[in-house]
Amino acid sequence: MYNIFSVVFKYIFIVIIYLFILSIIRLIYLDIKGMGATSLDNSIYLKLINRKDSLPFKVREYYPLEGEVSLGRGNENQIIIKDPYISKRHLKIVEDEGNYYLEDLNSANGTYLNGDKTMDVVELRNGDRIKVGQVEFLYVNRE
Amino acid sequence: MLNKKVNYKFPRNLLVLFELMALLLLFIYDKENLDKFTLISGITLIFIIYISNFILPRISTGDNYIFLIVTMLISIGVIMIYRIDPVLGMKQVVWIGMGITIFFVTYFVVKKIKGWENWIKLYGALSIGLFILTLLLGTRTKGAINWISIGGFRFQPTEIIKILMIFLISSYYTNYEKYKEKKYGSYYLVGIIYVFIAFLFLQKDLGTVLIFYSVFLALQFIYEEDRKLILYNVLFFVLSGIAGFFMFDHVRIRFETWINPWKYIDNKGYQITQSLFAIATGGFFGTGIGLGHPDFIPEVHTDFIFSAICEEMGIFTGIGIIMLFLILVYRGFKISIKQEDKFFRIVALGISILFGIQSFIIFGGVLKIIPLTGITIPFVSYGGSSMLSSFIALGILQVASEELDLGEDKDEQRT
Repeated sequence: MYNIFSVVFKYIFIVIIYLFILSIIRLIYLDIKGMGATSLDNSIYLKLINRKDSLPFKVREYYPLEGEVSLGRGNENQIIIKDPYISKRHLKIVEDEGNYYLEDLNSANGTYLNGDKTMDVVELRNGDRIKVGQVEFLYVNRE
Repeated sequence: MLNKKVNYKFPRNLLVLFELMALLLLFIYDKENLDKFTLISGITLIFIIYISNFILPRISTGDNYIFLIVTMLISIGVIMIYRIDPVLGMKQVVWIGMGITIFFVTYFVVKKIKGWENWIKLYGALSIGLFILTLLLGTRTKGAINWISIGGFRFQPTEIIKILMIFLISSYYTNYEKYKEKKYGSYYLVGIIYVFIAFLFLQKDLGTVLIFYSVFLALQFIYEEDRKLILYNVLFFVLSGIAGFFMFDHVRIRFETWINPWKYIDNKGYQITQSLFAIATGGFFGTGIGLGHPDFIPEVHTDFIFSAICEEMGIFTGIGIIMLFLILVYRGFKISIKQEDKFFRIVALGISILFGIQSFIIFGGVLKIIPLTGITIPFVSYGGSSMLSSFIALGILQVASEELDLGEDKDEQRT
């Protein structure tokens, strides 16, 4: 009785172990793909905080910031994220004399900076968390 | 194909399935004698592992794979150890519980405290203190003095010193510019490492010498600017290997049994030949858990756990374990590449090399690819100190996988 179980189980165990390894390799593969096209020579960028595989739409791991950058669902934006909770033109980040300012463009669901809804133009500081729709970014400025 | 939903939950659930099936197998095997305690602790362990895997991505913004990989390794290990000896298996369950707790404690402590790179003297002093303690209080097992027992609690100080050494090397190379200016500055590190190695020679713990040397040489190879120094060290490494061969009997025995174990099958070569027989018996899919005879191999629960796994769960599981270690080491390298903080960068690299070298030495040893040295497989073998120190190392690696420690620091200073 036990012998039969043991023999059957050993095959199942091997299958499980290999499935486990494969699924981890797949997750790592996704991870590397996201990391490939980054230009980290730019020291000012937005970094994705969410786990990439938890989001059902395309989003990159890093978005470099320069000059004026707008974010939204529409294709005319520099940062395009097809999240249904993000407006067509959701927000823009503007550079002014070396500082970066975040401005919400009257989006339906709003933009949250460190958990508070933004009402006006706000200056961004290194380490700020920007939440739009289901996506959360970290603002990094190493200058 | 890529849109198919394989996410983080999938491997986590597979792991639970694996553990539950193992528990079920145990239940079928030993229905009458199974006490409640075993069952409860088994379920508790599965629960702890699941919960840890569940909350870790929520508290840590860093890497989520390393802990998952490690929990798979300990699951395979504990199943095998319990099958070999239920008493040791239960002890191992307790060690794993403590290990996971220590993992989280290390994670928070290392993350909270800043300035690890400035305490190089402390690491050196602590290591040498532990070495001296070992020599004074140590007990000799199988030719090497590497155990001390305090109040009934036995542990191997070298397991802790391994991590201290990585910290020491890292803080040295983080402040490399400072030391380089001093006279003979680049020899400081070499000096202290050779003091460690001299202590290990006194203890006759040559497996650990090999680990220390490998980690040191690897890190030095990457960060040392004085390239001649590396050459000297490699030369010295070879010399001390030869010296070890002539000075110590048990090294010579290991070497002879590696060249031809069949000649000494009835005494010196018994262990390694039994290990080879066990692996051969298992074949691709193994005999099935509980149906082989891993107990023929002496020390099967620590050094030779890999042969036991190969015998009963098949060489495919053995390859699986090697692959898990490969991914773990690869993750470590990636963490190191991405880390901006130089100290944690070197630490992450050191820990990955430590895991890699340690598993390579023992896998190679039991498969008779390299001479056998009695060290444990991290996370798989039975052993309290090894389990705890491996989890400490993993906790540090988890901290190293996170970003922006520097950025947050600056932010705090501004407000």
